[in-house]
Amino acid sequence: MKNSLKVERAIKNITQEELAKQIGVTRQAINSIELGKYVPSTILALKLSRYFNKGVNEIFTLEETD
Amino acid sequence: MKTKLLLPNQFKKIGWCLLIPGLIFGLLTLFFELDFEFLKVHVFSIYSSGSIFGHPTFFEILKNNITDELIAILIIIGAIFVALSKEKNEDEFILKNRLDSLVWAVYINYAILLFCIIFFYDMDFLTVMMINMFTILIFFIIRFYYVLYKSKKDMSHEK
Repeated sequence: MKNSLKVERAIKNITQEELAKQIGVTRQAINSIELGKYVPSTILALKLSRYFNKGVNEIFTLEETD
Repeated sequence: MKTKLLLPNQFKKIGWCLLIPGLIFGLLTLFFELDFEFLKVHVFSIYSSGSIFGHPTFFEILKNNITDELIAILIIIGAIFVALSKEKNEDEFILKNRLDSLVWAVYINYAILLFCIIFFYDMDFLTVMMINMFTILIFFIIRFYYVLYKSKKDMSHEK
């Protein structure tokens, strides 16, 4: 699964730390999601989608291998 | 994501305060057969197979040095508190690390145990079993905190 979290963050001009605080997770969680090391739960994905005001499929997209 | 199975964060400190002295005294007893004389007390035993002369007995009061018992209790309760209390900011990412570390600890623990079953015998195997009582929790703690530490360190140069 790919995600555009880093891009979305750049658009909003917000650091990992701030985003993590807003969403209520650790900074490591945000960092690992951006690096593609961690797939967030549906709840976390929905929270991110709500925060960025974008659909979940706009932020997270499936890859061929998924 | 929330779990009710973990202890509150405050237990972590208590856990370390029990675990560290437990491990220190544990190693001392293991290598120097440390036994505190004043800890020789009467204990209640559910089953005892008896000494060389005796017969097996049930529900009997025996005399025993409880140094090793106390140390084992210290280590187990301490390790459980450290391993299973929440982090200050427990989230789903940490929860995943917890699960991974637990699986990893089970694998490593039993891999080492299998190795020891094959290569250690008699009283030496008894020592292995004794240490093995605690290793699964110890391995978990080491791996869990190592991964947490690494994920924090990997981040420091990222904006």
